[in-house]
Amino acid sequence: MQRIVRPQLMLRGSQQTILLTAGQPCINSISAVPFVRGYSVLPPTNDEEEKSMLHRMMRVDHAGEYGANRIYAGQMAVLGCTQTRPLIQEMWDQEKKHLSKFNEILGDNRVRPTLLLPLWNIAGFALGAGSALLGKEGAMACTVAVEESISEHYNSQIRTLMEKDPEKYTELLQMIKEFRDDEMEHHDTGLEHDAESVPGYQLMKAIIQTGCKAAIYVSERV
Amino acid sequence: MRSPLWLDMAALVRALRAGRALRGLGSVAVQGTVSPQCRNARRGFHCATLLRLADDSKSGTSVPPPSFHEVPTAGESSSSSEPSEDGQPNTSYQDQSGEHGEDYETEEQLQVRILTSALEFVPEHGWTVEAIAAGAETLGLSSASTGMFNNGAGDLVLHFVAQCNAQLADTLAEQHNLVQLGQAESKEMAEFLRDAVEMRLRMLIPYIDTWPQAMSILLLPHNIPDSLKHLSTMVDDIWYYAGDRSTDMNWYTRRAALTGIYNTTELVMVQDSSPDFEDTWVFLDNRIKDVVNMANTAKQVQATGEAVVQGLMGAAITLKNLTGMNQRR
Repeated sequence: MQRIVRPQLMLRGSQQTILLTAGQPCINSISAVPFVRGYSVLPPTNDEEEKSMLHRMMRVDHAGEYGANRIYAGQMAVLGCTQTRPLIQEMWDQEKKHLSKFNEILGDNRVRPTLLLPLWNIAGFALGAGSALLGKEGAMACTVAVEESISEHYNSQIRTLMEKDPEKYTELLQMIKEFRDDEMEHHDTGLEHDAESVPGYQLMKAIIQTGCKAAIYVSERV
Repeated sequence: MRSPLWLDMAALVRALRAGRALRGLGSVAVQGTVSPQCRNARRGFHCATLLRLADDSKSGTSVPPPSFHEVPTAGESSSSSEPSEDGQPNTSYQDQSGEHGEDYETEEQLQVRILTSALEFVPEHGWTVEAIAAGAETLGLSSASTGMFNNGAGDLVLHFVAQCNAQLADTLAEQHNLVQLGQAESKEMAEFLRDAVEMRLRMLIPYIDTWPQAMSILLLPHNIPDSLKHLSTMVDDIWYYAGDRSTDMNWYTRRAALTGIYNTTELVMVQDSSPDFEDTWVFLDNRIKDVVNMANTAKQVQATGEAVVQGLMGAAITLKNLTGMNQRR
């Protein structure tokens, strides 16, 4: 029964009658309702499956950016008084921008955030701080590993959306591509700053990337 | 042993023709003019059988082998091109979601109509299959069409809950629009929540005497997933229109708090005997005040905690300075 009702709700929201002060009803004046924005990153949809797919994508992306934010926060907490401060600060600021964009999308589209956010809060900070304790190279190695995972994840999302309907999801694709390019830039910055010279680089990278994959898998579902 | 293709086709076509004829009969039988006769038990069974057969032939389930998918749909499309045969109301020209939604209403729409008319009989019969039967009879259908509802009374209660939630969401959306257009003032969050919950609970007033029965039906194990879904949708709607755009744990804590408020107020309401349920609204007011207080207290605690941490850090640094540990050489 709920299925019949919900789509009508969304439709009704965009076809509200406006009650003029003189008491004359103005029926189905779609153009005059400010409730539905002209531009929105997620295309409006009535299909439940598509909606849940898009919501899942936004949920996991939001969790990812939140985690990345906390990782940089952890790194900054340890390396904040060293030479790497401006570098970490710059990357952190870009992540903050990504996170605020996702916050906006989640709020506008009534997407539920993942229940595991407190976990990513602590885990991200711990990872950032822990890797930074290995020095600047450790922090850079952590950055490289995480950004590579995130880029891969964004790429697979881009592939999914392109397979479905590139035109419908133009804005969304554009946004994800932009973010993916930013993350790749961070990845390259990390490599430039001696990420590979940390002892146990390959092992560390493998562990962190497995952790990231697990986090993505879980955040999609919870 | 496989019979030749054309023999099977012939049998199918015959079955379809028979089905269509029965459906024609069935649609005649369910028209209002014949319903008094249908009330007689035997005739009622006959009508029910016709209704069932009509449904069956519509869905093509009585037509055999799955390998002949094309023939049933061909039969259906040819039957749908003869709308005059069908005496049932045509309400679904715009609705293509049903499997046979071309010129008659879908089964879901019919169920909605029956359940809506059944609500009138709830004060008399309670939330039971009898109420659904009475509702069906008002529409001119046989009382045995309650067989459509596998969940019986549960279907009725869930339908009512969904209807109330939809009404609530519509009203909140309208109010939201008015506020955005500047024609109404926006309410404070506590007041908004209070008004929304009160509005939703007032929809129960006509059925308040039988509501405990409905609540217990909603708590049956096989109804719990649906009732939880309705509840969470309603709470999400209320918070959304109250202006909540949080994307962290607040999302969960706020909805949990409102769910608690709503459920406890509902319980108070079914036991309330004061005029116009004044005691309930007072209770609701107090609960919302509690939650707001808790939120404020939490904020204060956090601020205090941060201040304390800062103080301790300052003390530690001062100590390090005093003992000379902080010097850089």
